[in-house]
Amino acid sequence: MHIFLMLLINGLAEGALIFLMAAGLSIILGLLGVVNFTHGVLFIWGGYVSIWIFSMTGSFPIAIIAAVAAGALMGLVFERLFIRPVYGNVTAQILITLGLGVVFTDMARLFWGPNPIPASRPEFMDGTWVIDAVIISQYRIFLIVVGILVAIGINYLVNRTKVGMVMRAGIQSPEMVQALGINIKVYFAGVFAGGAALAALGGALYVPLVGSVWSGMGINNQILAFIVIILGGMGSFYGSAVGSIIIGLTVAFVSWFYPPLTVYTTVLLLLLVLTLKPEGLFGMAVRN
Amino acid sequence: MPLLTNILRKKPAFGPGTWLFLSLLAVFILIIPHITGLTTITLLSRIYILAIFGMSYDILRGYTGIINLGHALFFGGGTYIAGIMFSRMGATLDTLLLALLVSLAFAAVVAYIMGQFAFRGSGFTGVIACAMITLAFGEIGRHTAETLREYTQGADGLTFRVPLMFQDRMMMYYYALLFLIAMTLILRQFVNSPTGRVLQAIRDNDQRAKFLGYDTKKYKLIALVVAGMASAAAGIMFALLTRFANTELLTVQSTLNALLYTIVGGTGTLYGAIFGTAFVQLAQNYLLELRGIHEIFSRWLLFFGAIYVLVVLYMPKGLVGAYLQLRERWKARGRT
Repeated sequence: MHIFLMLLINGLAEGALIFLMAAGLSIILGLLGVVNFTHGVLFIWGGYVSIWIFSMTGSFPIAIIAAVAAGALMGLVFERLFIRPVYGNVTAQILITLGLGVVFTDMARLFWGPNPIPASRPEFMDGTWVIDAVIISQYRIFLIVVGILVAIGINYLVNRTKVGMVMRAGIQSPEMVQALGINIKVYFAGVFAGGAALAALGGALYVPLVGSVWSGMGINNQILAFIVIILGGMGSFYGSAVGSIIIGLTVAFVSWFYPPLTVYTTVLLLLLVLTLKPEGLFGMAVRN
Repeated sequence: MPLLTNILRKKPAFGPGTWLFLSLLAVFILIIPHITGLTTITLLSRIYILAIFGMSYDILRGYTGIINLGHALFFGGGTYIAGIMFSRMGATLDTLLLALLVSLAFAAVVAYIMGQFAFRGSGFTGVIACAMITLAFGEIGRHTAETLREYTQGADGLTFRVPLMFQDRMMMYYYALLFLIAMTLILRQFVNSPTGRVLQAIRDNDQRAKFLGYDTKKYKLIALVVAGMASAAAGIMFALLTRFANTELLTVQSTLNALLYTIVGGTGTLYGAIFGTAFVQLAQNYLLELRGIHEIFSRWLLFFGAIYVLVVLYMPKGLVGAYLQLRERWKARGRT
């Protein structure tokens, strides 16, 4: 029972981190119809930038803000220079974002070296609570809270605000929105930058959890996020939230009992869902 | 646009000049191992073998319109199967034959299973789901090779001996050349076959092919199985050349290499992959030699990614496509 509770919290924390990646991917896919393979690299950069700023300022909040800002900036540059010429051409999008991924992964290696850099948790969250013999890491609770806040925030932004309304209208008919005097390109760039910032936030929060940052951590998490996207149903925001929790719990439980099987289990779960429900759990139309 | 693409895809009619050029090239290729050093011979053998890996990708990307991000699984799988069997069962020709059969069977089965899941969707979301699912499959392969340390030596890499007849570099050059010619003919036959025509119809318009009554998923599966088997065979040849296998071969980067060979050369041309492989390998070699001038030249991946993005943005038809386009322009100018 104690182990169960601990794994539940571990799994939810893991799920919250995956959600930060998957939510960005899902929004970019759903609103822009763009598949973004640079998400893993934004994750890495978020991690490296946060460590770098943390080592200079010693402040965890400043490090996180810097990482998010770096992610948003990279997202803006990527969108303007590389994504905008290939809107509507999925194959070119996949190829270009893959190429960018290679360049920026190697650039991270160039700046920060090929070896993992150790990272420490912020002191005020390094503690644990012991409730009835269950050890609960405060940092994991913090991650879960961040995940929930981000989910509520995105939901509010997309469904309750004017900005969200324009974004939703832009999916239906970008030309019409443009004709109404709203510069839809700005919104598209903003969405891409926002998704990129979420990925960088994920990276910045992931690093203290595992204790180090290295350039290979992007691909693993990107694949988990992809699995979540397909599992939840492409372009569905709720699907990516539910999918993140499922995959997070799966990873936590399997890696506790038999770690080598973790990768296989997540992919098998995906294949199982695809067999039973090809459009994913919450599948719905994506902008075509 | 269809008119333009038709012109571009039309096979060049060989004039006397082209024949002369091709004969000179053939003579040059045949005598080159006798006039250069070991490094060049090995580099060229490498190009010949990797070109098949690239061509197998062209069947997917160029002829069927599939992006498979786990393609390294077949190539690396072939190399690993050969390596493991050579080190466990002795480096004999019998082992080689067995390794070839095993890896072809492995590629066919894995491609079939992979395709069953990757080709479920169609249209826009289908392409994305296919890329993501094949990526996951590829990572499973890499992960397995890293976990089965007992057989693969994990991240250290597996060194093995090869049969005696493949140990001479000069002979290996000719084997690689023969392999390239044979595989090119086989794959050319495949893409020009009725099945190959259907694949091109799927690439041009998935839905139209479906409405014409073709089971598009079945044809995509055929393409993946053929491409997988071709690259597994290339993987075996690669094992004979390098006598070494490591998990690098199974990474996404390895798949991206094949993808780059195809797009640099020109997708949907088959031959393009040969030029693409040569270009990429020679560029890599040249840049590494410049590393004395500035340290940046040792960072091949930076250049790799940059070439990648630039080719997709500005030269989507690759070297062969650009050449054909130029030729058409010259011809048009000659007529007026």
